[in-house]
This record gives sequence, structure tokens and C-alpha cells, in this order.
Amino acid sequence: MSEWQPRILAILCNWCSYAGADLAGVSRMQYPPNIRVVRVPCSGRVDPLFIMKSLQSGFDGVLVSGCHPGDCHYISGNYIARRKFAVLKPLLEFIGIEPNRIQFSWISAGEGERFATVVTKITEDIRKLGPSTRLVKKL
Amino acid sequence: MTELPVKESSGSKKNSVLVLGAGIAGIQASLDLAEMGVAVHLIEETPTIGGRMPQLDKTFPTNDCSMCILAPKMSECVRHPLITLHIMSNLKEISGTPGDFTCRVIERAKYVDPVKCVSCGLCEEKCPVKIEDEFDVGLRKTKAISRYFLQSIPSEYTINKEHCLYLTKGVCKLCEKVCPTGAINYEDTDREIELNVGAVILATGIDPFDPIGFGQFGYHRYSNVVTSLEFERMLSASGPYGGHIEKASDGKPPKRLAFIQCVGSRDESIDRNYCSSACCMFAIKQSIIAKEHSKELEATIFYMDIRAFGKDFDKYYDKAENQYGVQFKRSKIADIKELPDGSLELKYTFENGDIQHETFDMVVLSIGLQPRMGSRELSEDLDIRLNRFGFCKSDTFHPLKTSREGVFVCGAMNSPKDIPESVVSASGAVAGAVSLLELERYDPSVSEEEEEKEKDVTGERPRVGVFVCHCGINIAGVVDVKNVAEFAKGLQNVEHSEDVMYACSTDCLETIKQRIEEHDLNRVVVAACTPRTHEPLFRDTISEAGLNPYLFEMANIRDQCSWAHMNEPEMATEKSKDLVEMGVGKARGLVPLSRLPIDIDPEALIVGGGLSGMTAALAIGDAGHDVYLIEREDVLGGNMRDIFFNFSGSDPQEFLAETIEKVENHDRIRVLLDSTIEDITGFVGNFRTVFKNVAGELEELTHGAVIVATGGNEHETSEYLYGSSSRIVTQKEFERMLHEGKFPAGKLREVVMVQCVGSREEGRMYCSRICCSKAVKNALELRKRKARANIYFAYRDIRTYGFAEEYYSELRDGGALFFRYTLENKPKVEKIRPDDPDSRIRVTVFDPVLEKDVVIDADLLVLATAIDAPEQNLELAKMLKVPLNSDGLFLEAHVKLRPVDFATEGIFVCGLAHCPKDMSESLAQAKAAGSRALTFLKKKSILAEGTIAEVRTDRCSGCGYCEEVCAYTAIEIDPEECVAVINDALCKGCGACVASCRCGALDLRGFTNQQLFSVFDSLEIEASEGI
Amino acid sequence: MSMVNNLRKTIKELLAEKKIDLFIVWEKGSLPLSATPLFITSEDEADRAVFDITCGNNLSVYFTKDRKQFSDKKVGIAVKGCDARSVVLNILEKQIDRRNVVITGVPCHGVLDKKKVLDKTDGREVLEMIDDGDTVTLKGKGYELSFDRSEILSSSCLACIYPDAQECDIFIGDARAEIPNENRLKEIKEFEALSSSERWANTRAEYEKCIRCYACRNVCPSCYCNVCFVDQNDPGWIGNTCEFTDSMIFHIIRNLHVAGRCVECGACERACPMDINLLQLNRKVAMEVKDRFGDIAGLDINGKPAMADFREDEKQDFIMG
Repeated sequence: MSEWQPRILAILCNWCSYAGADLAGVSRMQYPPNIRVVRVPCSGRVDPLFIMKSLQSGFDGVLVSGCHPGDCHYISGNYIARRKFAVLKPLLEFIGIEPNRIQFSWISAGEGERFATVVTKITEDIRKLGPSTRLVKKL
Repeated sequence: MTELPVKESSGSKKNSVLVLGAGIAGIQASLDLAEMGVAVHLIEETPTIGGRMPQLDKTFPTNDCSMCILAPKMSECVRHPLITLHIMSNLKEISGTPGDFTCRVIERAKYVDPVKCVSCGLCEEKCPVKIEDEFDVGLRKTKAISRYFLQSIPSEYTINKEHCLYLTKGVCKLCEKVCPTGAINYEDTDREIELNVGAVILATGIDPFDPIGFGQFGYHRYSNVVTSLEFERMLSASGPYGGHIEKASDGKPPKRLAFIQCVGSRDESIDRNYCSSACCMFAIKQSIIAKEHSKELEATIFYMDIRAFGKDFDKYYDKAENQYGVQFKRSKIADIKELPDGSLELKYTFENGDIQHETFDMVVLSIGLQPRMGSRELSEDLDIRLNRFGFCKSDTFHPLKTSREGVFVCGAMNSPKDIPESVVSASGAVAGAVSLLELERYDPSVSEEEEEKEKDVTGERPRVGVFVCHCGINIAGVVDVKNVAEFAKGLQNVEHSEDVMYACSTDCLETIKQRIEEHDLNRVVVAACTPRTHEPLFRDTISEAGLNPYLFEMANIRDQCSWAHMNEPEMATEKSKDLVEMGVGKARGLVPLSRLPIDIDPEALIVGGGLSGMTAALAIGDAGHDVYLIEREDVLGGNMRDIFFNFSGSDPQEFLAETIEKVENHDRIRVLLDSTIEDITGFVGNFRTVFKNVAGELEELTHGAVIVATGGNEHETSEYLYGSSSRIVTQKEFERMLHEGKFPAGKLREVVMVQCVGSREEGRMYCSRICCSKAVKNALELRKRKARANIYFAYRDIRTYGFAEEYYSELRDGGALFFRYTLENKPKVEKIRPDDPDSRIRVTVFDPVLEKDVVIDADLLVLATAIDAPEQNLELAKMLKVPLNSDGLFLEAHVKLRPVDFATEGIFVCGLAHCPKDMSESLAQAKAAGSRALTFLKKKSILAEGTIAEVRTDRCSGCGYCEEVCAYTAIEIDPEECVAVINDALCKGCGACVASCRCGALDLRGFTNQQLFSVFDSLEIEASEGI
Repeated sequence: MSMVNNLRKTIKELLAEKKIDLFIVWEKGSLPLSATPLFITSEDEADRAVFDITCGNNLSVYFTKDRKQFSDKKVGIAVKGCDARSVVLNILEKQIDRRNVVITGVPCHGVLDKKKVLDKTDGREVLEMIDDGDTVTLKGKGYELSFDRSEILSSSCLACIYPDAQECDIFIGDARAEIPNENRLKEIKEFEALSSSERWANTRAEYEKCIRCYACRNVCPSCYCNVCFVDQNDPGWIGNTCEFTDSMIFHIIRNLHVAGRCVECGACERACPMDINLLQLNRKVAMEVKDRFGDIAGLDINGKPAMADFREDEKQDFIMG
């Protein structure tokens, strides 16, 4: 394939967002094939360093998605995660990382369509930005 | 080790129970029973478990996603080795005696072999017969071969024989032609089976009221009049409109929405003079969600009384009104008219008689709950009695028993209930059922023999086997599966790779086992569908081949790849390769995990000797476990000592005396009066409690579970001149007065009752739930004694939910007068002779009907004072490390699905300690708490999760962030060593602590930093080259 | 010198009354413009205690980096506003027991940044410094320079709003509550006004200077992990090379690790040999923490550290719609 294709990492919680992604598939909703999903038990498991490492290793964008507030299978993991992202995202934007490269969302187990929409939007946004360069480690 | 009942056998009467109905109540009952070691036959009429909950979008008052919270319970239920599921089945007859029933069950033909069906959906795609979708209440079409809904469990397809062309007309057979696994079996027949069980639990649920025959609100005549259930499906993201509210008339979103309450409820004229209890909250929820969908949308709720009587419901009501701007109009709908553009003109009258007209784009009928269709036949088949509305009959003091001994009832089958009440009653019914069984404690841990069978892979280099599934054409139709399997061969540490037709088929599972043997594989990756459904199966398979089940990883190349990129086969193939590579990356770092057993002490401690505490004690004691029942006062009975009447006419004091006698004479229950708890330490299965006994000495107890039943207090009010006159009393005092017949001197002609004293206002933003019914009950009792007394109610909303509604009508019809007051205009009270302690009381209350003040010179003023959480709750909460809500009530683990559990395992709550509730509800919840405790106590040990957090103490600086973020109190900082210590028994493996640890001292087994890094890194080199 | 005398008197009293085993304070350093930590165990040492513009060291680091030594002692400690916040944070993070520490606040009017002094003197040795509260005069061989005090203050002090301890047992003089400071977020706001690529160019230029000497981390009162994540290799979290992305990610993660914990004492920036504007990102993070969670690091002894806490109704504007 000659045309550049963005490569996006999605870290999804097992109970809601991963289930939402499954539902999108079961419902045969079509979305761009640029994401690579990593399943974690809870968005609370996501260390900001995962995101930094992914950017450094060349992913053009990262999506982290968990259960909606109140829905967390582990009671409050998503709230704990939210504080981390609430600091990380503005910080990365502040230093000059393009805002659309790192995204956070809440997607429930019933929101297959939302999953497809979110992935489509992220992919299109990153396609517009072009390949990531700013934090990519040059080998 | 005690032998477990085997799933295949029909179970023995001594340790098996039949549960009828697999809604949330049936699921909960089955899970509780199975966790106690009981073999369960779960009988379900439809092709899926789940009941009504999957139809709901969100749940009140937390707006939790219904499916998100239910799905884990559904899969747990279907996977449990002790639960045998009989879908599309009906219970026809129960014969025998309690403890030894024989049940006749008809399993209807499914026409699809569930073992062969891989849920690929090709049959449904090709099926030519479109029929109305029951799950989506007719808003969408489905096929004659289908799944009940997308996330059905079990997920296999079934044929609807009434509509199948082949089965009805002998033509078609398209499904058979396209089925890649030959699963279609038109020759399938109904089967009759007999099950021998010790007890039966009925949980058939309710139906929504069907307004078609009702006419009045134009349902089915006017296209934009919908029922609340239809509206719920519209709101649902997975519903027929994908979560977009649309008007049927033009497909546009409505701007003005009206909800009409009590459609099919509180209506004598259609023989439904009961309150459906859930619809007010349901409408409030729908109005909030609808407004979240579209900010411009305006929502108005037309109601008689807003019955937001549950825990935190009033706060939700308040939020809808003040934060979301939902309009609440107390009025009666006089007429509804469809205008030419499809909009609807409502004519309604306020209580003062004013008539208004208003136009809406859409009208939602808040339909009530009614007995399930066919419940009369069922009651005849099973020989159980129904009440006059057709609900299963049960009584106040035995709310979970049917009229037939040994047959229990839960869920909304015997009275309208919301989800948590259904869950509570389900666990409660289980307590009754197990009392008829002979259960021994069992040990769920892996035997040493099995442990030895496991291959030791430590120190071996990873030898990964990859299996790429075609899933018929589900994956292979899009992804070049052979290419992916070939690609996998080139990955580091991959010893073997092949493509397989159906990875989950029995022969393929055998193949996987063979390959493990042949190639000495020590890690397995299957690229197929989703680990959420299939990981357990593959884990079992590699376990059978001698590998630790955690040495397994899945790559989801179907649900998240081939199905989602059907038109981009090349990209989908590339993606599949990446997903396999990531899977191999993760697998490489996997290590064997074990689930360590944690010993469980068989005793229980119950804090509080009121009705709830005693009931829970009996539930556990009757199951053969020692119980310590600790009470601060020198007498058992708690608040129930002040209750003398109930609607049904039976005597609460008699029941209380019986209960106390049972408790005091129970050989398993040790009653500790006049005792206070000094300290509680430990964790599930291993608690240690120090208490001060009646002699003032310290004693120590060890126990496996704790039940909090500390009760509630009557609020001590200073409002309405309480305390200044013998003629101003609380409802509690009034009830005693009625019982003892000691009324204030002189005639008792004018009696005023003021509701919500201290409730539903600043400082106590909750409804005390029972005061309306209690006041109605006492007023009726007063009638019996003083027929000429005039009774006046000053109230805000009358909340006689459920069957109490009838008594409210009776009182009202009998001439009692009701004045609705607002917080801004509370009744005014003065003593006619201010200095006289026995002075009559002048009450001035604004009558919104006449729109003027009414003055009553009362012989007696009765105040319905709020229920307060005892202050001591705080101390106990601290000792147990469990939370209180802002009202000082104990906060359960999950308000919908874990209503008696705390997030911390082994600790449970019931009765008023949880929130205000009546006797029946307390009894049910106390039994539920007992059951929930028994799910632990019945085990000699429990197994910790395999994927739990671990600490590297050399890195830990003891900052305590992990302790703070843990929702399960599974981590503590050791004050001596100043390092984190994880309690394996309590850790649930979410990893919030791990990601919060700056020092890298914590890690999560199964999702270690190293394993996740290798997933990110597995694509690194390629990524830098670009795709 | 009455303030310092009072401080000395207080230390003596605390020791005499056996309320403490030890008092941590500053004393005049052997080099000009420097102060070094002083651990006082007997009253006669108390007269060596000083507090002035040179006392930049945040003494609370001894509670964490040398924790074992103090764990069973009652300790008095002299604190500036920022130091007091560190002490509070240490208490919240279980590094020290509140009952074992006597927090003694001293009135702070800013501490100097030696790098700024060196700029003023062109590297010439300073033999004497006179600080009259408004003007600082530096005297050395053959020169005397006077200038406004603010010109040599640490940049952290120029943006300080809590110069005095908000949580303390004793305060020498009258403690000020929060003081207005229009400079506080000025730099942040100016930076935010730049375009994304301008910001990136600036950040890159700044952080490319990093030589991974870890002086910032070593001096930071909030950095006390037994083994810093960058020094761990099992797993290796981030490359420890001076390659730009490795350095940048180290700093970003450090910013996050001190989120809700950075007391903006400026020690990192003063310690940085490459003159990296380290406080800027920390302050940006502190600003977000304040805006979003309402928390200021080390201010509320009854609170929870921001990143170990949550509120259900927090702002979540950054979540995709």
C-alpha cells in the first residue's frame, strides 16, 4: 500500500468499551481499519506512560476508552483514570502535541454505534494531521 | 472434600433447586444458589436469559447503562458449572412435598443445534421471513430464525416455528443451505423432562401494561403516542433507532415531550388500583436521558404524585427539575387530540380546576406493570394462589413465600418492584429455598492432584502456538486467514501456526490439545472472535492439555476486524496480522497464575438485633452456621417493638414474639445483648471482632462474614411545636396510642396528620418511604376505633406505592381530607391555649383546590417524622472500612445489582441501615443478606482472582495512593514497614492502584507493565517504517 | 534580626520542654550566599540557626529521602510557605506522622536564585550581600552592585501566592494567608497564546538541553521513590538516553508524578545546570489540578492528595463527545 495509513492504538476497558467495540462488529457497523485494540481490565489500569510509549514507538494516535461515569465495573476505576487524563491531555497540548492525537472517551457496552463513530472521527482527524513526528523516537 | 453435584445429572432433591424465569431476579437467585454449592435448573421461556433489563437503556437513579451492568452477570450465570439452563422451556407441574419436589418441564424445540451453531448469523441474513421483533417491541423487524437480541445469552440462534416457512408450509430451507456447520435441525421436537429438586423459586416477572384496549390516550391511533417501553428502546444506543429519538410521523426528533404518568396504574376503573412503583422514576430517568440527547428538548411530566420513595430517588427528582429543567405538572389529562402535523394537543386540569391546553410533539405513556401473561394458568398448573390483581400472593411477614410450602417467589411476580428490590427478593428467596436442602460446606479449590497435572513452564523459553480461525466465512470471507497464519509463523517465539475452520468446535479444541503435545507449546494464541465470550472455553482447553489456563491470549479478528471492515479485505488482513502480532507479544510475557485459596470461617456476625438482624440470623442459623447476634440494647426487636398494625390485619407483635423466641432458642444463634463492638479487623472469611459484653468485659469473636443491620431512628423534630403539648405526637407514638387505647382526654373528633416532617428538605434530602403508608394505616385504625373522627392529611406527595394504594383509596373514599402543601407554604401550627400542655392545636393549611387557607382546631396532631440513620453508623463504617452516603446511610456496592453487598467482600447490609423501608422489605433484605453471606460461608475456602495486583516491596515508598484508589479496601499500608500490602482475597484486579503507583512497585498479574509494553512494542519497528 | 532571634528562642524552648528531639533549620553556609541544613539536638546549637534570602533548601526532603533516620523522632522543622506544603504532603502521603512534627513557619520574602546572581556579577565572587527587603546590594572584589530584590529571586518566588506556612504549629511573626500575585499564571497564559507548533518548537528547544543529570529529581521534595521509574529496568519504562523523546517523556512523566504534589518551590529549576524552564510545566499541571479538582498541593491537611481522589461530577470537557 503506497498511501500512508494512520496507525492508532486503542486501549479499551474490558467491560464497557471493549464490549461496545464487539457490539459494533456484531451489528456489522463499518469503521476504518486503522485501530489496534489492546484490552485492559479497566481504564483505571491505564498508566499515562502507556500513551507516551505508544507515541514514542510511532503510533499516530492513541485512544483510551472506559465505562461512562457511574458504570465502572470496578466501581470507581474510570474516575481515577479520568483525573490522570484530565491532567495529561492539557499538558500534552500545552507542550505542542496536536490535540487530536490523544483522545479519551466513554463508550458503554451498548454503544456499538458510538464506538464506530468515535473511531471514524479519530481516524479522520489523524489522517488530516498526517504522520506523527513530534514524540516519535527516530531509530 | 465434599462432592459437588454434577451438572449433567438432574441433581438430587437434597442439593438442587429449580428457578423459573431468567430475568435479573432468576439470574441472581441462580447465582446465589450455585455459589452455595446448589445445583440449579434455570427455566426460561424465551431463547435468552436477561429478562426485562436488556430492554432498558439506562437505569435510575445513577443512569448506569443497563446492559453494561447486566452482561457480566449473564455470562457468569451461563458459565457457572452448577447452573443448567433450560431456555425455551416451561414449568408445567410441581408434585411432591417441600424438600422433595418433582417438576415437569417442557423444553420446546429450537430447531438449531446449540452445540453446532457458531452464531455467525448467515441464516438470519438469508431467512426470507420478516416478523415483528418482540425485544424491540415491534419497532424493528427480525427474522423467523434469529437471536432474541444482539447480546443474547446463549448466543445461538433459534427458529420461530410459527413463522418458519419450512415448518409451516414445508418450503424454503434456506437456513439449512447456508448454515456452515449443519446446525439446523427441522426434526427437532419438544421434550418433556422431570427434575427432582428440593425447592422451587418462581421469578417470572411482569409485563408492561398494554394500553391498546384503553383508548383514552390515543395509543395506536396517534402515531406519536408511544409507551415508555417503546421510548426506552428509542433511547437505547443499541435500539432500533440507534439512540435517536424519532417521531413516527415524520422521522424528526421531537422538541416537546410529554410524559403521562399512571397509565394502567392507580386506576380502579380497570381493576388496577395499585401503584406500579417504578414508573415515576422511570419517567424522570427518561426525561433526563432525553434531555441529555438533545439540550433543546423540553420535557413535561404530568402526574398525580411523584413517588420517588427509594434511596437517593428524591435527589434524582430534584436534579431533573432543577438541573435539567424538566417540568412537573400535577394535573389530570382530560383529553388528547392529534393535530394535522402529527403533534398532539393535551388538555389538562390542575387541582384548582384550571384547564390548560398545550401542544407536544410526542407523548410517552408511563405504562404500569402488570402480572405476566399466562400467570393465571401458571398458578393453576403449580397450585399457587394469586392476589386480587393477579400477582402471586404472599403475605407481609413472609414476602417471599407463595401459598404453597416449598415454593418461593421473587422479583416483580408478587408485587411491582424495581431492579434492586428484585435482586434483594431473589437473594432473599434463596434463603428460604436452602432451608429445605441438606447442604454441606464445600471446597472449590483445585485439588493437589489437578495441580500436579499442570506442566511446569518456568524457565522455558516461550513456545507459542497460533490458531487462526476462519469462523466459516465470518472471518475468512474478509480476512485472508491463511496469509495471517503464515505470517504468524515468522513471529518471534512462534513454534506453530495454523488456520482452523471453527476454533471453538469440539474437534478443533482437540486439535489444539494435540498441537500443544506435539510441539511442546507453552503459550497459545487463538485469533478468532472475542475473548469476552470465548476466552473461558479456550482456557479450559489448554488446561486440559496440562497448561496453566493463564498462558492463553486471544486476538479478536472477527468482532473487531472482519465484521467491522467487510469492504476492506486487504486492510482487514493487515490489521489481523497486527492483532496476532500483538497477541503473540502479550503471550510471550505470560506467566502461569494460580488462584490461591483463602480459608473461610463458617460463622457470621450480625450487628443489630432488630427485625432485620434477627431475620438474617435465622437465615444463616437455619442453614447450619453459627451466628453471633450483637445488640446494643438489652432487648431484641428494635423498631418493630413500636409497630402494632399492618394492612393485612395480622399482628406484628405476635410475629415479633415468635421471631424473638426462635432466635433465642436457636442452637446456632448466640444472642449478645447489651454489647458494643470495640473493633473489627480482618477480611472476608477471616474477621476478628472485639466487643464489650454485658458484664463490661472485652470478648473476641472470629467469623467469616459480617451483616450490618443497625437500623434507623425516628427523627427527633422540633417542628410544629412538637414536645409542647400532649396533643402533638409522632406517628410512632400515635400507633402505640391506638394500640393501648390511651387517647388524650376529651373527644377525638379532629385529627390532623402532617407528612414529611424532616424528610425531603434541606438536611434530609430523602423520602422516608414508609410514612405515607404508615399514616394511612394508622388513620384506618383510628377509623375503626373512632368512626366519627375527621381525618385531615397535610402532605406533599402521597407515596403509598405498590398495593398500599388500595388502602389510601379506602381512606380517601371514607372521607379523609387531603391538602397538598409545598415547602414554601408548610402548615402552620399554634396552641389554642399557649400555656396549657394539653391545649388543642390550631392547624392552618393552604388548600390548593379552594386556593385558600383552611383552619382546623385539632384534638390531635400526628407528625410523620423522618427516619434518621443512627450516628453510630459512622463509627461502625470506619471499623469495617465501608462507605456511608451523604445521608449517613450505608452505601452498598452497587445500587442496582449489588443492593446488599458492600464493595468489600464478606460484609453485607440490610434493613433501615441501608435505607428506610417497611417490614416486608426489611424481611426480604435481611434474608438476602443472609443468603449473600452464605455464598461465602458455604465454602471452606474461596479462590482469590488469578489476575490480581502484586507489590514489589523494595520499590514501595508507602505513599498510600494505592490504598486510596482501591475501591475494595484490598490494599493497606503496613504502618511498621511503610509498604503496601495486598489482600489477595479482596483484590478484583482492576489495576487502578498499579497505574497510580509512581514507584513502579505495583503490577497487575495477567496485565503486567511488561506484558503491555511488549504489546505496544510489538508493532514498533514496523510502525516506524510506516504501513 | 528579631525574627531570627525569635526562631532561635522557639527552638530552644521546644528542646527544653522536650517537645522535640531534633530541629531542622538552616545555618550560614561556608560559601557566600549559601545556607546549609542544620540539625539541632541541643539548645546551645540553636544560635546557629538563620533564615534569610539564601535559605532556599526545602528541608522537608529529610522526611522522605532520609526517612528512616527520623521515623521515630519528634522533629521540629523550619518552613517557608512552600516547604510547609511539602510537609503537609509528606503527612498525607504517610511519610511522617503529624503528631511527630512541629511545623514552625518563618516569614518568607523569597529566596535567591544563584544563577541569577552570577548573571549579575558576571561570575565574579560575591563577598557580601546586604538585603534591606527592597534592594539587594552585592559586594565583591572591586565591585558593588545594587538592584531591585526581585531581579535575583527564584522564579518560583516571583509567582508565589503562599509565602507563609498555611498549616503550622508555630509561626515566627504573623503568617500571611494567600497573597494576590498577578504574575502567577502570566507566563503560562502567554505560552498558551502561541500556536501549537510554536509551543512545540519552544518546548523542544528547551528540553533538548536536558543532559539527564536528574538534579531536578534529586532535589525535588516530592520525588522520593526508592528507585525512580527511569532507573528501573524490569521492565524498562523509558530509555535513559539523552535522545530528545526519551528526555521529553521522562520530564512529562515526572510532571505527572508531581501532579497535585508539586509545591512550586522551584528547587528543580534552581538545580538545573542547563537552565531548563522546568517550573513552567509543573505550574501548568498545578493550574489544571486547581481548575479541575479544586486542589492545591499540600494546602489541606485534611484532604486527600489530588491524584488519589476523585469527584463524580468533575469537569470532563476533554472526553470525546
